[in-house]
Amino acid sequence: MPTWLAVLASRIGGLVRAGRHDRDFDREVESHLNLLTEDYIRRGLSATEARREAILRFGGPVQIKEQQHERRSLPLVETTLQDIRYGGRALRKSPAYSLVAIATLAIGIGAGTAVFSVAGAVLLRPLPYRAPDELVRIFETNPLRRWTRNIAAPANYADWRTRNKSFTGIGAYEQFNTNGSGAGDLFLTGFGEPQALKGLGVSGNLFAVLGANPLLGRTFTEEEQWEGRSRVAVLSFGLWQSAFGGDPSIVGRTITLSGRGYDVVGVMPRTFFFPGRDVQLWIPFGYTHELVTTARRPHWLGVVARRRPGISFEQARDDMTAIARDLEKQYPDTNTQMGVHLEPLHESYASGPRTALLMLSGAVGLLFLIVCANIANLQLSRGVSRTRELAIRRALGAGRSRILRQLLTESIVLSVAGGSIGFVLAALARIVVTRYASSAIPLFAVVQTDRTVLFFALGLSLIAPLVFGIVPALRTSRSEQVSDRSETASRETGRLRDVLVATEVALSIVLAVGAVLLMRSLTYLQDVDPGFTKEHAISFTMTLPSARYADPAARYRAFAEIERRLGELPGVQSVGATSTLALRGFTWTGDTTIEGRSSTDYERDTRHMSTTPGYFGAMGIRLLAGRTFEAGDTRDKPPVTVINESLARRYFRGLSDAAIVGKRLAFGRPQDNSPWVTIVGVVADEKQDGLDRPAEPTEYSSVAQRMQNPLTFVVRTTVAPEAAFAGARAQVAGVDKDLALTQTATLEDVVDGSMSDARFRTTLLAAFAGIALFLAALGIYGVLAYFVSQRGREMGIRLALGARPAALFRLVVGQGLRPVAAGAAIGLAGAVAVTTLMQSLLFGVTPVDPAAYAVATAALAAIAFAACTMPALRATRVDPLVALRED
Amino acid sequence: MGETRSDILQGTLDLMVLQTLDAMGPLHGYGIARRIEQISEDVLQLNQGTIYASLLRLQQRRWISASWGTSDNNRKAKFYAITKTGRKQLAAQAQNWERISAVMMRMLRLAQR
Repeated sequence: MPTWLAVLASRIGGLVRAGRHDRDFDREVESHLNLLTEDYIRRGLSATEARREAILRFGGPVQIKEQQHERRSLPLVETTLQDIRYGGRALRKSPAYSLVAIATLAIGIGAGTAVFSVAGAVLLRPLPYRAPDELVRIFETNPLRRWTRNIAAPANYADWRTRNKSFTGIGAYEQFNTNGSGAGDLFLTGFGEPQALKGLGVSGNLFAVLGANPLLGRTFTEEEQWEGRSRVAVLSFGLWQSAFGGDPSIVGRTITLSGRGYDVVGVMPRTFFFPGRDVQLWIPFGYTHELVTTARRPHWLGVVARRRPGISFEQARDDMTAIARDLEKQYPDTNTQMGVHLEPLHESYASGPRTALLMLSGAVGLLFLIVCANIANLQLSRGVSRTRELAIRRALGAGRSRILRQLLTESIVLSVAGGSIGFVLAALARIVVTRYASSAIPLFAVVQTDRTVLFFALGLSLIAPLVFGIVPALRTSRSEQVSDRSETASRETGRLRDVLVATEVALSIVLAVGAVLLMRSLTYLQDVDPGFTKEHAISFTMTLPSARYADPAARYRAFAEIERRLGELPGVQSVGATSTLALRGFTWTGDTTIEGRSSTDYERDTRHMSTTPGYFGAMGIRLLAGRTFEAGDTRDKPPVTVINESLARRYFRGLSDAAIVGKRLAFGRPQDNSPWVTIVGVVADEKQDGLDRPAEPTEYSSVAQRMQNPLTFVVRTTVAPEAAFAGARAQVAGVDKDLALTQTATLEDVVDGSMSDARFRTTLLAAFAGIALFLAALGIYGVLAYFVSQRGREMGIRLALGARPAALFRLVVGQGLRPVAAGAAIGLAGAVAVTTLMQSLLFGVTPVDPAAYAVATAALAAIAFAACTMPALRATRVDPLVALRED
Repeated sequence: MGETRSDILQGTLDLMVLQTLDAMGPLHGYGIARRIEQISEDVLQLNQGTIYASLLRLQQRRWISASWGTSDNNRKAKFYAITKTGRKQLAAQAQNWERISAVMMRMLRLAQR
């Protein structure tokens, strides 16, 4: 052990066993003195003289004992420990103050830590891939189609791979939906009940690009991404545990997915996910070379690339932009104006929740400041009542810095106590949030209460005392004499407290305005007509395994049979199915040609959906003109389509719905010679990407004429949801016992789920604002109560001289509302500046919505007035005699 | 008294204590103090209490160890003994001391000329 470490260890030991060491040394000194004394006696001195000589020779036993004591331990630590003990005792002596302060701190630190554990997980935590900073996502852009971050066409992806000079590898995965990770349903059979798994098709090099090593076995080889070689699978840790009991021998075995055999080649470690935690297994996409080199019009790949060492993000972007320009020249037909957009992978993951999380972080920061202001306020009033105690300490020789240190130590004791409770609260909040609001947290984020979160809470606990403790400590430690209760001193303190209250009010009104804005947005959102009737309807998705249902006719028969059987269930009013359920899922889009328009006029993106005839009725979508599908719209009949209102308004400007019926469309470009499809009806828009987003132009075809798989069924029923799902499951099993229902949800759940982010942030901000207002009220109350107690005598005299109680009431309330008014004015001005930052989170209101400001101000005024009333009433009830007798 | 000078003195005392314990075997504080006074032929008259600062320092560095025992005249006393690391330190420091004192002597002699 190095010497310094030995010394430190010994000194720390001395800290703990100080008492024992002191006694030990006392005995040693005593024995030394005895030996010396005996020596002197032997030389002929008397016992008393010998003892005196011995003490002289030894040289001041008391000082030496004192010195030894200090050298044995760490004096700074020792006095700090003393201060902590003293502080604890002082806090115990005024339990009401301590409880309020600790509870307030617990809320402030707890809220801060809770928000940090989510925001940190989403915005800061590195992704579980090797050198994640080198990873970028590559999107396609096209101003003609209003694409800013679109998924890529396979052929473009293939060209990027061969032409780039910036990346060590470019990987891709199938991204078939916009809000999830793009994984599709695969049915695992042969291991107990058939279960639907989220499987993701990926390029052979994807794992290599990510730099992710398997826990067991291997990942894919480059060759395995091609058709014929691709029947292999890599399992996620979670699936390995849940479906295969963590059996390592699964590697090398064959499992059946949707009727096809796949060799399990590897298992990923627990921490790995890609791109979201919902993906349970990965399979190579198994395309043909031909598909990958020719599919330039349809876009369905998510693309991830790793920058070469030494290549900057900008260099990579320029390289890719140049390639995109070359492709544009080479393939004008498909790539006109097709550009690229690069984003660091982490940024692209976190882009969605970023604004909301930054807003919540800001809000919780304000709340933290309010908490500190509040405690500073409490401490100031407590400092006044402690003047005497501190003055005595000074008189006994404690310097100002010593008292300052002690007061700050007390603040730290308070803060660490509050912080510990806050940390526990944050841990509980995390559990609640991950259980009940998991949809509000992005799929890639791991929200956990770990060491980082603990350090954060600790950090807040140590910063807080500096924020709230310094000013009161300076103020309090200044009092010179025992009798220092001078008017100027208390007036100065009073002013300081007014400033603190004004600060609290200003900060809390900012929060209140923000919360009201979000609440109003949510109300507007809830009032949005989704375009369908959400009550009394259930939905679920069915995927027919292509192994067993190979041709479209077989799929059509199976789906039709399921639909028929669902209709036989008791209580069912109508049944329909769609390729994409409202507010959820991926839709193909493509060019649309309108009969009779110019041959270059086709670049209008239309969403393609397929539905059964019963769909519009089951959803309750209004028919505006013409008809919807009928049983007669079969494969052998001329193709028909139903369009939504958005398509009608955007592409048939100026025509009435009735006039549009009968017009013909072709999906694709004029030169594609796609068949003409007759518009037979126009229906009202159903919301697609969110209640806050307008529906895109959409074309519906009949499932009979354009099959799609999977389909989502909608069953309108009078039966309760659980019973309805049970009935549906039984009917589906009657058709094919290996089929499973996935994504089961009532339509109300679907609508609700689409608002979960908005509701989550609104709830949190409203809670923060509520706490802030409450704390502000507490601050106002504290100041006024102090004011009344200080000037109780004056009140008494005024009453005795005939002042009316009402006048006194007004005086006190006026006194209390002065800092409130000042704070509110500053806060409202601040709110205007701050709320513009949350523009993108608002719906139906502007950041300067007057009603929101009015509501927030009214709430604050009401709370402030309530806080003033109690001290004011007390002032009017002062007994003049008692007041005069005081002091 | 300046910091440096006190340090040198401290170090000197530490070295004396180590040397004493190495030569005499385990001794109590009084014994060590007496021994140093005798060797110095009472040139060095120290406050015997100051020896304890040195003893504590050496203990904290684990160069000596301490335990309670009984003295010749049957009194309870705390005995100190040099440890293995202590002996190594003593050797190193003694050498160092000799080097420095030789240099000092030469310096002083040259200065006298």
